[in-house]
Amino acid sequence: MKNEKRDILLHLYGEADSESDLRTLLLKSDLKDEHTALSETKFRLDLRKRDRPDIRVIETIMTAARTGDTGSGVSSRIDRGPLQRISRLKKMFIPAVGIAAIILFSVGVGLYSVQLKSNSASLLSASGQNDLVPPESLYRFVPSRQGTISPSGSVNNELSWDDQSTLSTLNGRINTMKPSGLLDWGESAVPLEMLPGSNPRGFQTAGSIRK
Amino acid sequence: MDCFHTCIHITELTTASMLPADEDLVVKYVEHGDERAFRTLVDRHQERVFGYLLGMVRDREVANDLFQETFLKVISALSRERGSYTVQGKFLGWVLRIARNAALDHLRARKKWKDVSSSQTDDEVDYWEKLPDESPLVDVLLHRSEQSEVLRDSIDALPEEQREVLLLRHEADMTFREIADLTGCSINTALGRMRYALINLRRQLMAQHSKDLTEVAE
Repeated sequence: MKNEKRDILLHLYGEADSESDLRTLLLKSDLKDEHTALSETKFRLDLRKRDRPDIRVIETIMTAARTGDTGSGVSSRIDRGPLQRISRLKKMFIPAVGIAAIILFSVGVGLYSVQLKSNSASLLSASGQNDLVPPESLYRFVPSRQGTISPSGSVNNELSWDDQSTLSTLNGRINTMKPSGLLDWGESAVPLEMLPGSNPRGFQTAGSIRK
Repeated sequence: MDCFHTCIHITELTTASMLPADEDLVVKYVEHGDERAFRTLVDRHQERVFGYLLGMVRDREVANDLFQETFLKVISALSRERGSYTVQGKFLGWVLRIARNAALDHLRARKKWKDVSSSQTDDEVDYWEKLPDESPLVDVLLHRSEQSEVLRDSIDALPEEQREVLLLRHEADMTFREIADLTGCSINTALGRMRYALINLRRQLMAQHSKDLTEVAE
């Protein structure tokens, strides 16, 4: 069946070999139907009007044939490849643009941080408080009427920028609670009785105190 | 009547034998710079090449562009001591190969072409046995004046490998052996694709006809 249908098609297009006989094939009804159906469609296709290229295309080709210059013709051809060029652009330029954007962003961030530092330095130098201002004070309100800030290491020092606040009171309390003699690491052990405020008789049991 | 047809046939044969062969025209153009010879080649094959390209890309402007590109490549190759064209009597096949490459490049760039495996060992049987033809005859369809438009749309709707074989056979007038060589498949596969192209085409025409009849009845 397979070869017979193949032969039907070859007969239809005039390419069958001499051994194959169409009349014998058409004695079978299914092959006859096949031949009829295919030949009808082929007939319709054969009646189609043939298309020709535009005359300007032929002229371009003949100009190239005369001059031998095929480059100009190619360059003047109809632009048919925007999508192809776009895909090529995507492949080539988008990664480059991405890298450039990353570099620009990095440079921008770097410049911004450098500018921020220089602004801070200029602000400090303008107010004359270069080294004595603690870093956190940059984010606080510092009244301009204050002259200098004393170092914060002295025992009786009060916080001059907020002497009316509870912080001043708290600072005073901390100072008064400090022991008069500070113990350092490595000193020899001191009996508890010798510590100020302790009982001179040493430790006592709870029962003895009750008595 | 028979004598009349025989005379016409003899006249056609004589005229055909008087026409210079493609190879002779190529030699005239390449060796002697005879532009008219090249013009004859273009005129002789323009419908075949353009019809194939137009059927493949389905856009007249693009087909014009590809046609121009094809023949510019032909000129360029011939100017380089005939380039890749060395086979006697195969000028059209050579030109169509260039045209096909240009068309496939274009279609691939637009993702409109799916490469079909040239392996046919598995699907040969399917081509001949799978799709039984149970459609009635289509006498009425053949009389319609607007049929060419419907026919073109139906060809466009064919699967790409069937459409290409149909175009190569009907537009480029290639034999099935030449089609098989050009597309890299066996002759059986080429024939199978052609058969199904005709069957599918017929079905589409019938479906369109039924639709038209329904619209008229309504």
